Formats: sequence, C-alpha cells, structure tokens
Amino acid sequence: MANVTAATEAGPTPALRRRPGPGREAIYAYLTLLPVLLVVAAFSLYPILYAAYLSLHKELLTDPGDHHFVGFGNYADVFHSFYLVDSVTSTLVFVLMSVPAVMVFGLLVALLLNQAFAGAGILRVAVLLPWALPPVVSGIIWRWILNDDYGVLNSILRQLSIVHYAIPWLSNPQLARVALVFAQVWHEGPLAAIFLLAGLRAIPAETYGAARVDGAGWWAIFRHITLPLLRAPLLLVLIYETIVAAVTFDLVYIMTGGGPANATALVSWFAYTEVFKFVNLGNGSALAFLIAAALLVIILGYLRALRVESNR
Amino acid sequence: MKDLENLTAELAGGRLSRREFVQRVVGLGLSSTAAFALMEACGQGSQSSGSIQLSFVTWSYGVSTIQDNIKKFQSSHKNVQIQFQDFAWTNYHDTMVARFTGKTPTDICYSSDHWLSEWAAARWITPLSSGFSDLTSYKSDYFPYVLQGMTYQGKLYGIPYYADTWAFLYNQDHLQRAGISTPPQTWEELTQQALEIKSKGIANYPVLLLFSQSDPGSIEVWESMVFSRQDGHLFDDNLNPVFNRAGSAAARVIDWIRDAMNNARIMDPASLTSEEIPVVKAMASGAHTFTILETYNQAELNKSGSGPFAGKFKMAPMPGETHNTVGYVRFYAVTDQLTRRPPDVQKAADQFLQYFGGKVNGTFSPVVVRWAVENGLGFGWKSLWDDQQVRTAFSQWGDPDMLRRNQELARIKEGLTKYFPDWDVFTRAELQKAYLGQTSTQAALDAMAEKWKSLKQGNS
Amino acid sequence: MTSARRKLLQKGGLWAATVVVLFFVLAPMLWILDSSFQGENELLTRPSHLLPQQPTVGNFDYIFTGAIPRSFEVTGTLRSRISQEAREVPQALENSIIVAVAVTIANAVLGALAAYSFARLRFAGKTLAFNFLLGSRLLPAIAVAIPYYAIINAANLLDTYTGLILVDLTFTLPFTVWFLRDHFRALPEEIEEAALIDGCGRLQVLFRIVLPLAAPGLVAAGAFAFMFSYNEFLFALLLTQTIKSQTLPVILASVATNPDASLALTAASVVLAMVPPLLFALGFQRFLARGLVAALGRT
Repeated sequence: MANVTAATEAGPTPALRRRPGPGREAIYAYLTLLPVLLVVAAFSLYPILYAAYLSLHKELLTDPGDHHFVGFGNYADVFHSFYLVDSVTSTLVFVLMSVPAVMVFGLLVALLLNQAFAGAGILRVAVLLPWALPPVVSGIIWRWILNDDYGVLNSILRQLSIVHYAIPWLSNPQLARVALVFAQVWHEGPLAAIFLLAGLRAIPAETYGAARVDGAGWWAIFRHITLPLLRAPLLLVLIYETIVAAVTFDLVYIMTGGGPANATALVSWFAYTEVFKFVNLGNGSALAFLIAAALLVIILGYLRALRVESNR
Repeated sequence: MKDLENLTAELAGGRLSRREFVQRVVGLGLSSTAAFALMEACGQGSQSSGSIQLSFVTWSYGVSTIQDNIKKFQSSHKNVQIQFQDFAWTNYHDTMVARFTGKTPTDICYSSDHWLSEWAAARWITPLSSGFSDLTSYKSDYFPYVLQGMTYQGKLYGIPYYADTWAFLYNQDHLQRAGISTPPQTWEELTQQALEIKSKGIANYPVLLLFSQSDPGSIEVWESMVFSRQDGHLFDDNLNPVFNRAGSAAARVIDWIRDAMNNARIMDPASLTSEEIPVVKAMASGAHTFTILETYNQAELNKSGSGPFAGKFKMAPMPGETHNTVGYVRFYAVTDQLTRRPPDVQKAADQFLQYFGGKVNGTFSPVVVRWAVENGLGFGWKSLWDDQQVRTAFSQWGDPDMLRRNQELARIKEGLTKYFPDWDVFTRAELQKAYLGQTSTQAALDAMAEKWKSLKQGNS
Repeated sequence: MTSARRKLLQKGGLWAATVVVLFFVLAPMLWILDSSFQGENELLTRPSHLLPQQPTVGNFDYIFTGAIPRSFEVTGTLRSRISQEAREVPQALENSIIVAVAVTIANAVLGALAAYSFARLRFAGKTLAFNFLLGSRLLPAIAVAIPYYAIINAANLLDTYTGLILVDLTFTLPFTVWFLRDHFRALPEEIEEAALIDGCGRLQVLFRIVLPLAAPGLVAAGAFAFMFSYNEFLFALLLTQTIKSQTLPVILASVATNPDASLALTAASVVLAMVPPLLFALGFQRFLARGLVAALGRT
C-alpha cells in the first residue's frame, strides 16, 4: 500500500506515461473474454442456426429416414394448428391476469415495507423466500393446497361452511387459470415488492413533506407524487414480469399438464408437446422461433418505452 | 447405516463380489439403482468380465414387487445384473421418447398397445423374431386383443406384462340402500339409477370416470363406452373415421357424458382431472357409485382395509346394447439397442423375458402367476385360467365368470397406428371441450376427424 | 380522535397487514412441512388435519433408508404406493448443489475477468462483444431447447454435470458480466490507476484491489447464479436421463406428477428440496435484495 500512496503523490502526468500500452491491454482483454464468449457463442449462434435448419425440414421421429426440405411447411402447420390460436389466447389471458396481480401485490407490499415499524424488518426477510424456491416447488405446493380431495384450502373452506362442496380449483377451466395466477403471484410477487421498495426509498422524504404542508391527503399524495416517481421502476417490473409470464412452463407442467381441456396450455407448453407428444421436431422448432420472434418484438417495444421514460 | 458401511467396506476390500453387494444392499431395503450408485461411488464403476448388465425400465406400479422379482431372477442367474428404473405412468410416453432419442441405455422396457406402432415405426423397439424366437411361439395362447396389441406389420413385438379389460364397476352397497336390485343394462338406465342415488343423498356425484388429459387410460375409457353401444365403431376397415357421422355411437357417448356432467349432474366434474389412482381412492371412500376401471382395480377396491366398502364392489357388463368393451395389453418390449449388444447379453435378456413374462420349465413363470394372484392383474394367456391358484385368488375379490365374460366381450382399441399417440393427445383435450360444452358434439368429432385425416396424410 | 389514538390505529393496521402478508407468504411452505410429518392415511382424511395427530418421520426415513412407512402396511394397498424415485431425492439434491456451486464459481471467476475488461479496458470490438452477450439473453429457453439438446448430445455430454453446467453458464454469464461491469465501473478508478503505475498487471489489480472492494456485488452475482442453476428445470429435464445427473427439480416434478407416488413421500421430498434455497435466501437476503435492485435498475 505504501507504493500506492507514493504513486498518487507523484501527480497525474507520470501515471499516464507509465501505463502499459493499448496493444497489450487488448490481448489481455481478449483472453479474459474468450471463455465467456466461447460458451455463449456456442450456445446461441449455433443453436439458432440449427433450430432454423430443423424448422425447415421434416423432422418426425416416427419417420427416421425422411428429412426432406419443406420450406415454410412447418410454420404453416403451426399457424394452422389446432392449438395456436387457443394457446396464444390462453397465454395472453394468463399474462393479463398475472402481471397486474403481481404488480399490485408488489406495490402494496412495498408500501407496507416502506413504513417505519418493527414488523417491516421481519417482513422484508420473509417476503423474499417464495421467490428463492424453484418454480417447480411452488407449483407442487400450490397443486397440493388446491386439490379437491386432500387440499387444505378446500378443507378449511368447508369446515368454515363457506362452501358446501369442494371447489374444483384444478378441474374447472376458468378456475385452473386462476390457480396458475395464484402460484405465479406467490412466486413472483416478492421480486416486484423488493424492487418497488427500492424505488420508493429513492423518493426523498422532503417531497412528501412539502405536499403534506399543502394539506394533501394520502391518496392524493400517492396518485400525484408516489406513482409518477415510481414510473420507471414500475415499467421495468412490468417488462420483466411480462416476459416471465409469457414463457411460463414449469408451473403448467406441474400443476395442470395443460388441462383441463387445454385451458392452461400456454404457448411454451405446446412447444414442449410438439416435441415430446407429437414427436415432431420440425414443428417444435418452428413454433419456438415464432415465440422467440414475438417476444423480441415485445421486448423491443418495451425498451423503446423505457427509453422514452428515462428521457423525460 | 452401519450395515451399509460394512457392505461397502467388504466390497472395497474385495471380500464381496459386485453381484453379492447389490443383492445385500437391495436386501437392506434400498433400490437396486441406489446400490449401483453406491458401487460407482466406491470406485467399482467399471464392468468386470462375466457380469452382464441389463437396463429395465417400467412405470411405477408395484415397484416393490418388481424389485423382489428382480432379486429372485438374479439369484438364479448369477451373472446378470438388472438396472431397474421406474417412471410415472402418466408421463411414461414422454419419458421414453426422451430416452430413446437420447439413446440412454435401455434394453427392455414396458410398452402399451397405444404406442407400439409409433415406437416400432421409429425403430426404437424391434420385433421378437430377431433373436427371441422362442417367445413368439406363445402366440396361439393369447387373447385376440393381446395378439393384435403386440403385432405391428405382421410381426410380434413383445410378450405380455399383463392384459386386461375395462370393466364397469359399481358399489353394491349404494345400490342396495337406494333399493336398486340389478345394475343398469343401458346408459339411460344408468342415468336413472344415478339420479335415484343422488336424490337419496347416498352420493352427490354417483358417476366418476378417469378422463384426465394426462392419463393414457382416458382414451380407453371413452372407447369402451363407444364400443358398448350399437354400431360401436370409430373407424371403418380402411381406417377412415366414421365417428363423426350423424348419430354415431361416439356422438351418443359424448352427449351422454355432457348431459351427465352439466344437466343431470350425476357425473363429477373432477373427472376431467382425475387419473386412475384418485378415482380408485374416491371410489374406495364411498364418494361415488359407478365407474369404469381396469378389472384389477376391483381387486384393489375389494381388498380388506381399502375402506368402508371393501368387498362391496361388483362388476357388471358395460351398459349399452352390445356390452362390448376395450381390451388392452401392456407388454415387455425389446429395444433396438439390445439387438446391437453381444450375443451373451441377448441371451440373458431372453432368459429375463422368459422369467418375467413367459414360461419356465414348461409352466408359467412365477412372476406371471404372482401378478395375477397377488395383484389381481389380468393376463394375456387364455390357459392361465386353468391354474387353480389363479382361479381361487380371483374369486376372492371378483366373479371369475364375469371376468371371463368381459374378456370375451373385449375388443382392441381402434385406430392403433403410428400416429395414434399424436391423435390421442389431441382427442383427449377435444373431448373435454365437448364435455364442458365449449364446443358442440359434432364440432368436436369433426375436429377429431380432421386431425386424423391430416395425420394419416402426413404419414403415408 | 386524538393523534395518539390515530397513531395506534395506524400501527395496528400496519401490523394487521403484515400478518396477512406473512401468512400468505409463509403458510404454504409451513403447510407442506406439516404434511411431510403426516402418514399417508392421515393425509387422506377429510377434513385435513392442520396439525399432525400422529406425527411420523417415516416419510423421510424411506427417502434416506428405504424403510417402507408403516402406514402403507396398514392399508395394504396392492399398488405399493412407493416409487423408488423418492429414494433418489438425496442424490438429486447432491447433483443440484454440485452443479450450482460449479456454475457459481465459474461465474465468479470468468464473469469477473470478463466484466473487468469491459469496465476498464479499451479494445476493438468491445461494444459488439458486450451487445452480443446481452442480446443472447433475449432468446427464450424454449426456442433453443432442441438445438441445445442436439449440441450436448453430439458432444456426448448428455446426462453429465458438464452438460448442465455449460448450459447454465450460457444463461448466467451474460447477466453476471453485465452486472459486474456496472459494479466495477462504480468503483473509483484512482486506486487502480495507482496500482498500475506501480507496475501491477491488470490481473493483479483485479484480484488484489478491485475484487475485495466489489465483494458485495460479487456475492450478489454469485448468489443469482447459484439460484438460477439450482432452480432451473426445463434444460435439466431435457439434458438428463438418469439419477447420475438429474437435479432436484426434475426428480421432484417426476415424483409429484406420479400418481403412484404417495402424497406423503412427495411432501417429504419437497421439504428436503426447499432447505438449500431457503437457507440461501435467508443468509444472503441483503445481498439478494441489493442485487435485485441493481440488476433491474440499470438499463
């Protein structure tokens, strides 16, 4: 450390003169980047090309000898498939239900955590726990709780005489979608809460003070001060949660297997189904590309909105 | 844990052969898979000469019995070690697709007539004729639906693990309390009896069926209901759909189900997400009166201790004009991989298959008899009825005459082609939409026919 | 009402709200813990027992030693509601942890190296490389699932730790690099400059000066990498075949969706699976929270 002190006392000019040349630095840079770039390139460039290849050929596992070129045949198959419209609808419905739910939950909990009282400490630790669990585990826990036969929720509802017969959470198409949303809010809500809390903390206390002096009530403060200042964090959470909801797979796999009557069969479920149940890798790859393209459009759209937001 | 430590020490010290180690570990209650994992951990992973390893994959029914059978096989075939794995029945097809595609070592596995054509066409499993010809000689003793269920393009692909029929089961106690003396002969009668039972408060939803999208049995239940009716066919001789014609048996079945669920409210809506085991449990608890299950579940329901109605479950012919039902076979399949392994491995596999599904010393192997006697599993061999043990065991929980009658009334599922699994997955969901009233019966059947035609075209 | 009264009501309201949220968040986990100590028979009784009336450790016992719980013998079902899959939970736990730790270490080392270069060095292709890394994150998992499978299969890495680690790295490295770059940038450059003048190489500067200063950020990045790897399901499902490499989410999914596996065993398996991530979250809670904020805050 003595050397460092001596060096800083020497003044700026000597420092510049004795820096290693840019050439050597560049080599060092490339060496340090090589492992990372190799891994990521191997698993992003090549897969895209390979998936593109698969999507343009006939790839039916029950026809092992025939892989002829079909052009956009697989894409046409997917567009005309029985599931495309339904699964896109189901996915949209799920996104429209779960994302607002997650954000409202997050905002309310963030507001609560922002208050100064002893409970906030405990809550802040506890609230992160569901998010840390694998989504698979969340799915299992909620499937367990919502089951008709041995689910504890139905049991409690019946004991309290709120309902007479068990609510078919997972056997009724509409309720099954709600059940998925429950599990999603439980798992993703914490993320929204912690992040919005940081956003709330970034608002200086004086801002509120001034408004209160003017006699504003809490709702007016919330609407005109808090929310506008939270716009950027809210938008970010919105983007992230939308993407997460759109590609949800684990929960569907565990809780409903796509049913009943394919009510919870989201697009990612059908990408899985094409490969494993219909053993059609050509269609599976085509569908995957379509999903990726749609997501890309959504993400770019959001990013533009974000840039507009941060330029304000 | 102490025993385990001693065993591993002995193994490492060379005082125990690998085969003995596996046996002793399994004897302690661990699975053979865990034993092999332990051996790997002890650094005994490399295969020593003179020991043949066969990989055997099943679904998770009766796992402790299977492990015991494996133990007995290994004790009489000391040079063979079986690596055993089981997976969920509801996910079995997808799991095996992944396994075959990834070429994970698999030598012998369970299969079902649902998937025979698909797996054979994909060349994942091979006909028995290539190297296991002894086993093909049993053909003449099989029930027709058993032989059909294991034959693809004229070649036999396996030997039966078990074969059974779908049976109409009812809780006799419920019927007696409702003052009904005989089970229903037609579906209309069933509706009447169910309404009676419901009005008397005996069961809120007297009918429960396993229509879960994830259970391969759901299509079999539906097909059995179709078969039971007049003109109960789905396809003609050229495999063209006839189920979407006006007034077809299929249409009548869907109408009945929709009515039962939504209007008469005699069928539990939870049927849509109920797999076999939840149905069995619900029946055993007395929550429902009528169901359609594999016959071995009558043994399960009537086993003492199963619930308050143990012994009260009876079988009747499927309601409907013809009383026909679905018969099926689940069998041991030989994978393509196995045929590429050395001759001594294939010979060991041959012995394994004989022991598990064939004959030993001219009489039925103990495993075959055991499944029938202990678990009440139906069998594919006509002559197994001659076995006194089997007849006695079956009469404990069921009526052998009724069982035999059901076997005669049973037909193999229609539409078993290499694209049947694909159509099956689609149809299960489509049927649910019709039951829920989201589409009309005709629209659902038309969609199913469309799907069938496009699959048929794409696969010709 | 008096100001003191109002304050009390407000505090009361806050506490009430806290209890409600705590309940929603914790009750599901506590319920499954509760269930894992009930025998199969007890689990199936209606109404559900909120507290085990006949508590048993038999379910955990089966997972670790294979001793079949007594409750099965009592009912004597023919199916033997055991799957030997439940016995694989401890091994799967081990697999998950090994893979996650490897991914974390690789992220910390490779990610820090690359991130520092992005943060401080000038070289041709810097922006391109960085954007390429970020852009790769836009691929949804489903789109690359089959090709990943093909690549791993061709490299004979199916059903190995290495295959899983590589795929997990693909998803975690870009985020780690991006996150650490920002973190490194925020540190004052003068100290590093001074060390460089003294003749330290970039590598030494990184290890001796930057990393100690950036330790919280490093821990956060490592924590995210660990969590991603441990929780990952889709690729673990595709790229593993046997318990040799199957991770916990795969085994759990299998046991939970297997109607032949008893409910009690499922509950016990889930409880075992929950322990590492919960301990992790509790221990690293502050880093995680800080890391989450930093991650989503920089665009």
